Amino acid sequence: MNSIAVNDLHKTYAGALTPSLRGLSFSFPEGKIAGLLGPNGAGKTTTISILCGLVKQDAGKVRIFDIPQEAGRREQIKRVVGIVPQQIALFPQLTALENLVYFGNLYGFKGKALKDKVMGHLEAFGLEKAANKEVGRFSGGMKRRTNIIAAILHEPELLVLDEPTAGVDVQSRSMILQFLREYNAKGNSVLYTSHLLEEAQQICEDVAIMDEGKLVVQGSPADLINGLDDCRNLEDVFLHYTGHAVRD
Amino acid sequence: MLRLIATIRKEWLLLRRDKAGLTLLFAMPLVLITVMALIQDAPFKDYQEVKFDILTVDNDQGRLGRYIREGLGASGQFNVIDSFGQQPLTEEKAQSLIAEGAYKISITIPKGATAEIVSNANKIVNDISKRMGLASQLPVKAVVADSLAVQLYFDPASKKAFKSAIQQALDNFLTQVQTDLLLERIQMQLKSKDSAAAQDTFPAIKLKAVGLKETGVGAGKQIDVISNSVQHNVPAWSIFAMFFIVIPIAGNMIREREDGSLVRMKLIPGNYGSILSGKLLFFVGICVVQFYLMMLVGIYILPMLGLPRLQLGGDHAAGLLTAASIGVTATAYGILIGTLFKTPNQALNFGAISIVILSAIGGIWIPLEIMPDTMQKIGRLSPLSWGLDAINDIYLRNGNVGYILPDIARLLGCGAIMLAIAAIVEQRRIG
Ligand SMILES: Nc1ncnc2c1ncn2[C@@H]1O[C@H](COP(=O)(O)OP(=O)(O)OP(=O)(O)O)[C@@H](O)[C@H]1O
Ligand SMILES: [Mg+2]
Repeated sequence: MNSIAVNDLHKTYAGALTPSLRGLSFSFPEGKIAGLLGPNGAGKTTTISILCGLVKQDAGKVRIFDIPQEAGRREQIKRVVGIVPQQIALFPQLTALENLVYFGNLYGFKGKALKDKVMGHLEAFGLEKAANKEVGRFSGGMKRRTNIIAAILHEPELLVLDEPTAGVDVQSRSMILQFLREYNAKGNSVLYTSHLLEEAQQICEDVAIMDEGKLVVQGSPADLINGLDDCRNLEDVFLHYTGHAVRD
Repeated sequence: MLRLIATIRKEWLLLRRDKAGLTLLFAMPLVLITVMALIQDAPFKDYQEVKFDILTVDNDQGRLGRYIREGLGASGQFNVIDSFGQQPLTEEKAQSLIAEGAYKISITIPKGATAEIVSNANKIVNDISKRMGLASQLPVKAVVADSLAVQLYFDPASKKAFKSAIQQALDNFLTQVQTDLLLERIQMQLKSKDSAAAQDTFPAIKLKAVGLKETGVGAGKQIDVISNSVQHNVPAWSIFAMFFIVIPIAGNMIREREDGSLVRMKLIPGNYGSILSGKLLFFVGICVVQFYLMMLVGIYILPMLGLPRLQLGGDHAAGLLTAASIGVTATAYGILIGTLFKTPNQALNFGAISIVILSAIGGIWIPLEIMPDTMQKIGRLSPLSWGLDAINDIYLRNGNVGYILPDIARLLGCGAIMLAIAAIVEQRRIG
């Protein structure tokens, strides 16, 4: 079974001149760490927003674990998917603990069990001392880590992360990557986007490179690198397929 | 239910940390109602005791002049002015003061007016005595060609209703003097006939057998609608202050959109409606607390400042229902503004100005009752006027829940419509 299957997605935002997605298709088998890569504006965030129902596609189909992304099934999908948005999605005026307890409550968890779960995650991410500090006063890396915890409270089988390592220091990044590996090792699927191709090469078993709203190429990093003569790493592959022109 | 309670708790945590927001919600309104009640105290006393200056030129210096002066003075509505500078007022001076517009009314009592009335009364009494076979001995003046008249001068700009009210009042005094004098003569005549009767036991003749009495029509004790500053200003400005909750609410909604926490809430399975209901309930609760804090100021603090004590009427359940309904409308308005506007600044400006306008036309600043007809009709469209109307019905007319239901229905209906619009707009955003 595929964790995600996207078929011929089209999306033009209201008021936008050009489409953001033009016939995007890809799929990832379940149980893998997959990477969705592409230059700025390629449509990665748009794709993820469609996956989780925050944005509606104009055409095309999305299936998560074979559940079709339809109006009636969105709730079901939300239960099996955890989304870490590109933007920090927390209340800056609340402490990390208050944020996570509130979101846990919204999932239906409560009481000591919830608090223990939240404290466990905070500890795993090295945030136990910051539990009672307002998120607004966190460093970028602390916010990113807390942002991830908010997405895994319901232990989703598929975790989707939009640039989880953007703007964080080496320590935070390695902690996050380590977490992704461990989460995957428990049998969960992970899809993440990143501009750091070295990082993607390290941890992804499967990558899809997209540009201008379309899939350019998909495969394991090793296969992609070996498939092209002049490419030594994923960055070379990426540049080979997407060119050197700067995106706006 | 957990989602709802968790949201209420979350809103409380957010508000508790927002010192500026707390001040805006609780301290400012208390200052506002105190200041408004204090500064409007004098004007409200004036509404109640409008006193008109009446120039009186008394050329008669007799009983008629005295009656008119005393009568006008006793009604409490007039200031009788009979001298200008150190001089007694003359008719010419009075006329020129009216022409200048300095005063609105002048009365001239002609010389010999009392004598004329006395003579007329004597004539009637003599006539009656003669017919009854008694000797008539009261002096009667020779017939005067022109009948004397009390002369009235009005400012040309005076309203018709005002003029006729004055004329009626004076006519009343004239009739009274004439009947008094007549009855007095009759009494004198009877006394002289029946000299055996002890003078002081002779019953005084009273003409007034039936009088006038005003009674309120409310269910119980009735306070005049614009009776005093506290009774108008405390509820009115409380409603105004409650509506200002739209600013923190709109700010709260826009911030949630900006800081991404709204995205997180939407990513969690479950009805967003329950989160919104939690928010609504929380802010309605805040509104109700605000309302009763302000009522407490009206009851306990304002009397310490020399103002009258606020009367809450008899039906406290109706009062609570009204406060909650106003809270629902205000909160829904805040949610709508928070949904429609993109930045907190836009929301703040639009929210504040719209509430000031809705309050001005809705009778918060000055009671609707004293506005022109068209303004009253427009004002009745303002949700603030429904709230104030309901409160007045309870506090002033002792109305109960049944009495205020139409206003409550309007408030809740309006709130529901605004929430529906906000929901539709928010739904369209996913696209
Ligand atoms: N809400 C929106 N309204 C209009 N256009 C949008 C909106 N969001 C994104 N776009 C446009 O859609 C295109 C794809 O944007 P998207 O954010 O999906 O790219 P991305 O691959 O995530 O880029 P990045 O790597 O910079 O995050 C861009 O051209 C962007 O300008
Ligand atoms: Mg993006």
